Amino acid sequence: MAQPILVPQVGQDLTEAKIVELHVKLGDRVKKGDLVAVVESEKASFEVEAFAEGVVISLPYKVDDWATVLEPLMLLGAEGEVVEVAAKASASAVAPAQPAPAAITPHPAIAVVATAVPAASPQPALGGLRSSPAARVAAADKGVDIARVAGSGPAGAVVLRDITAVAAAPRSSGLALRTLQSGAGTPVVFIHGFGGDLSAWRPLVGRMAPGLPFMALDLPGHGASKAHQVTSFDDMVTAVGDALRAQGMPLHLVGHSVGAAVATALTARGDLDIRSLTLLSPAGLGPAVDGAYVDGFLAAQSEAALAAWMRRLVHDPAKLAPVLVRATLSARDDAALVPAQRAAARALFEGSTQLFSTAAALAAYHGPCTVIVGREDAILSAQDVAANTPPQAALHRLPNVGHLPQLEATDLVVRLIDRTLRAAG
Amino acid sequence: MRELMYREALREALDEEMARDPSVFIIGEGIAERGGSYKVTEGLLAKYGPGRVRDTPIAEAGMIGVGVGAAIAGARPVVEILYVDFAMLGMDMIVNQAAKFRLMTGGEGRVPFIMRTQGGAGGGVAAQHSQSLEALFYHIPGLRVVMPSTPADAKGLLKYALRQDDPVMFLEHKHLYMNKGMVPEGEHIVEFGKGDIKRAGSDVTVVAWSNMIPRTLEAAEELAAEGISVEVIDPRTLVPLDRAMILNSVAKTRRCVIVQEANRRGGVASDISSIIMEEAFWHLDAPVEIVAGLDVPIPFNLALEQASVPQKPGIKAAIRRALHLGPAAMAAE
Repeated sequence: MAQPILVPQVGQDLTEAKIVELHVKLGDRVKKGDLVAVVESEKASFEVEAFAEGVVISLPYKVDDWATVLEPLMLLGAEGEVVEVAAKASASAVAPAQPAPAAITPHPAIAVVATAVPAASPQPALGGLRSSPAARVAAADKGVDIARVAGSGPAGAVVLRDITAVAAAPRSSGLALRTLQSGAGTPVVFIHGFGGDLSAWRPLVGRMAPGLPFMALDLPGHGASKAHQVTSFDDMVTAVGDALRAQGMPLHLVGHSVGAAVATALTARGDLDIRSLTLLSPAGLGPAVDGAYVDGFLAAQSEAALAAWMRRLVHDPAKLAPVLVRATLSARDDAALVPAQRAAARALFEGSTQLFSTAAALAAYHGPCTVIVGREDAILSAQDVAANTPPQAALHRLPNVGHLPQLEATDLVVRLIDRTLRAAG
Repeated sequence: MRELMYREALREALDEEMARDPSVFIIGEGIAERGGSYKVTEGLLAKYGPGRVRDTPIAEAGMIGVGVGAAIAGARPVVEILYVDFAMLGMDMIVNQAAKFRLMTGGEGRVPFIMRTQGGAGGGVAAQHSQSLEALFYHIPGLRVVMPSTPADAKGLLKYALRQDDPVMFLEHKHLYMNKGMVPEGEHIVEFGKGDIKRAGSDVTVVAWSNMIPRTLEAAEELAAEGISVEVIDPRTLVPLDRAMILNSVAKTRRCVIVQEANRRGGVASDISSIIMEEAFWHLDAPVEIVAGLDVPIPFNLALEQASVPQKPGIKAAIRRALHLGPAAMAAE
């Protein structure tokens, strides 16, 4: 079956990366770890490595093309496997040479479906955020993150009335909630852990079955929700719960670490219809946390320092791709991010102690629940997690896995999420 | 208050100041016996005699030279030039002599010279009789540039001009002479550098002058029916310019449209826009819009003449753009 190699996330909220080198061509056989391409954003370049062995059976890009991040850069498959590539929409003939975002469907009839590229705008885009000076002043004054505001001015520019409207809206709508995959049925909401953001889920979601609606949010103090500050774990749960309640439908929750604790606490809220829980390395099930990691992670300023701390997240350091470290570092180009995460850390931890517990909430939850923890978790105590997982939940303790089971045991985690979702019906 | 035509208000100003100050005299083509092509000076010859109201040959360079020289010598000449287009013949006297003299004499010499003339498109008088040339004078340090839009302003500004000591380009508009408006009884003087809010509003500031004022006021009235509140500011004198009035209004409305009849390139509107950009940037919620004439010689053909200078629909469209009103609203035009 064909597997995609995704265009890496080259920076927070960047949607496109430029392909600067391609080291393979159609039909080439690659093995795990081969350098297949180099892509770059405005800030940095990223090497793309093959994660598995296979033959390049689809390669829609050429050097200098712009590709959508976290979409397939190429597909690997078996010798002779065929991929149908739909003809490019005629609109692309007048648009600048730019490949259409591709969506993949599984074997056997793999079709890379090209969507129409919108015709080039008649006005040359100057790039950057379009907003009026008055809107910028008002946004700074009211503490509104202007990048999160939908503009109603010419060509989507953010103007004063947009800021006024956002500032007047209830605070709970301030969390970034995005659709990662559209589909029919009960939405699955992914909640990231401390120090991450919703983009961290995209590789996992790319491996899951198509057709289901997947959403992810940025926790308060993180990613695009960084301006939303909370002073306690309960505040964080309230903010997330309010944002999810606005969706007004039943949900499956998948959480990692602090995100798993938030997911668990949401079940006790009473006004959300949570159909299942999948908890990866859940926090809140014991007091211990690696406070040195939290401090070191926040303080790191170079790629080397950040990599040194992030290696604690995994059991096998080889699993920590440099691209992950670079993406985390480039997200910090936004000078507001680390202070926001630091404030979130103060709300959640005191030294090496978690200031919250979700053990009671988990014990009271009787829907389908899967708890996945790495036996080699260096951030939280796998023993505490096991001890506080109630008997009605399925506990999976993964050998040779650290704090990121979704990275170190991706296939198993995908299967366990899928099984949990199906158990909920 | 009583209603006067623009030309009657100008005549009153000249009459009152000639009666008050014997050093005021008027020269120009056909201004004495014929009373002027626009009838501004009608009756003044009979009242003040040929020594103070004098016809000249068709020789603008000479008339302007006489005026600048007489002003330096202590008189208060008013030189009427039939079309501003013809003032180009006297540019050396205006630019190199009148405008510089005060500075070059360390302030001891003054040039209370007034050039009254008229410009603007209208009526198919073609490329050499239709220009709006205020930007040329605006560019020259040392000149005052006055552009009244109403009878009251015309009278008050001309009287002020005749009581101050710097060279004044007093630029009237050929379409305004017959316009009527209320003018205060008795002594009425309008100081230079004081703009006038011709219509108060809260949604958008429109800065306009001369014949663009009545046109803008019509546009504002029509937009008011749609709930758009337009503030119309008439600076009245471009030099000195009432920056404070413009900037305060923009700070309030956060939007500005500048309407000038003159062609766009190198115009006064561009300079006012740059002032707003420098001093009120953080108040702006929309780019400053300029509605101006096209960069073409004014055509003789009446339809093309109309198309080459700002008209009401264009002014309204610019105001809607400044308010971020979408194409649907514009289609209603």
